[in-house]
Amino acid sequence: MLELHGLRQTFNPGTVNEVRALQGVDVTLEEGSFVVVLGTNGSGKSTLLNAVAGSFLLDEGRIRLDGHDVTRWPEHRRARLIGRVFQNPFSGTAPGMSIAENFALAARRGRPRGLGWALAPDLMGPLRDRVAALRMGLEDRLDNAIGSLSGGQRQALTLLMATWLRPRLLLLDEHTAALDPKSADQVITLSDEVIRRDGLTTMMVTHSMAQAVAYGDRILMMHRGRVVHDFRGAEKRRLRPEDLIDRFDEIRRREQLDEGAAAMLRDLYV
Amino acid sequence: MTLLLGALTLGLILSLLAMGVYVSFRIFSIPDITTDGSITLGAAVAAVLLVGGTSPILATGAGALAGAAAGALAGVIHTRFKINALLAGILVMTALYSVNLHVMGRSNVPLLQANTFATQGERLGHALFGAGPLHLLGWPVAPGDLAVLALALLAAVAAGVTLYLFFRTDVGTAMRATGDNPQMVRALGADVDRYTILGLALSNGLVALSGALLAQYQGFADAQMGIGMIVWGLASVIIGEALTGSRSLGLALAGAVLGSVLFRLLVAVALRWGLNPNDLKLITALFVFSALVLPRFLARRRGGAPAA
Repeated sequence: MLELHGLRQTFNPGTVNEVRALQGVDVTLEEGSFVVVLGTNGSGKSTLLNAVAGSFLLDEGRIRLDGHDVTRWPEHRRARLIGRVFQNPFSGTAPGMSIAENFALAARRGRPRGLGWALAPDLMGPLRDRVAALRMGLEDRLDNAIGSLSGGQRQALTLLMATWLRPRLLLLDEHTAALDPKSADQVITLSDEVIRRDGLTTMMVTHSMAQAVAYGDRILMMHRGRVVHDFRGAEKRRLRPEDLIDRFDEIRRREQLDEGAAAMLRDLYV
Repeated sequence: MTLLLGALTLGLILSLLAMGVYVSFRIFSIPDITTDGSITLGAAVAAVLLVGGTSPILATGAGALAGAAAGALAGVIHTRFKINALLAGILVMTALYSVNLHVMGRSNVPLLQANTFATQGERLGHALFGAGPLHLLGWPVAPGDLAVLALALLAAVAAGVTLYLFFRTDVGTAMRATGDNPQMVRALGADVDRYTILGLALSNGLVALSGALLAQYQGFADAQMGIGMIVWGLASVIIGEALTGSRSLGLALAGAVLGSVLFRLLVAVALRWGLNPNDLKLITALFVFSALVLPRFLARRRGGAPAA
């Protein structure tokens, strides 16, 4: 479904702000798999997601999605295949427009837009039902500006919008990180429901070990622009949060050792 | 009464300018100074065609299309070449000054002998009401002036309704969302650059349409007529928002029309009371400045009051 080959990306190359965000990432996602991308700040997990979404074009590497080589496709073209929910609840919706109008936009994701009526009757019926299914009482407020809603409500609606037309790939970029614990819980539960119900191929970035353990069928652990561990199958199911913490500590110790060794070698030979 | 009729007609004609400025300034948050050039371009193209004997409808349409092309050019410079929107507008406006002179062949084209929408309106008025003055609420009114006012009203309402319907279509909704949240629009598969170009074309098309009608109403096109028009458009939009208050699309468009008419009435009254016409642009600029700053200033005072 999704194949990433040798992704490399350096931001601000040749300057003091140089960041080697991706240093050779190779990953293949099977159809219908729900992959959690876990990592510390600056590990490159969000960069990886943005590379797949097409927010920037890669320095090196190839991306194949649903049988297409999308490496050079601009973001809006990839949107035909990809549904997205952002970390910032304000990023996924147009605040000045009504709930219904936001969904009218989502209902034409990746399709040609013409002079048809945006709020078509065949949209409004299913829309009311599916918004009602969120149990947030929003089905009677479809004409209200989406900017008047809370972050949690907006994020739930963004998820619904991203999956309104079944995406070939769903990208969730720390989409609960900016919410209060109760809303975060609602949104992650809703996400899991939708993903299971529609069997969506999903990449979810998170820094929450609890979420990584509780959801999905595979974990990619990232550190310094590389995938350092790939938990899948039985290993993923047995995993506890402590195991992940141990694994991160191990990586950190090895790194300190490396730096210590380098310093020693420098002292001896340079 | 003639003064009032004139101000109403001018206000309605310039309401097209106000709607154009609403599209660029309120929907895309771009203060698009291309406006100053495209209103003259619309006037120049229409005037030259009218002098050549083209029908008023065709000439006006051609003027609007020329303005739309200028707006699209500003959009291309802004999006494809990544130049600041304000600078892109300044570049196109400056270039248009020369273009307009070339189109007209000189700095002023009179339309005294040409067949324009204004002369047709007057003929219509005479055909309907005869040549003598009508009495409207006890005031004598020339039937020609009344007919021209009716045509201007028709143009403003038609443009407003069309624009409203357009912004309710799939394309129009995507265009409004582009100004509201470009990141989301990209994620939903729409090309933000294309919609920005399209939006600026639409905005400047309306502005040039306004210019084409203005030239026919005042009886000439002039290379200098566009100076400060963006600020007049902004003033109309701001007055309109104060009148209709709401942020809903229909009310905002109606507000732009009402704002433009009210602004023209205020100007007519002020000039009648002896305001020096040379001060008009200074006062308009001060008005727009205070209308932009005042809400923020008041909010800060209100917010700061409990702490003090």
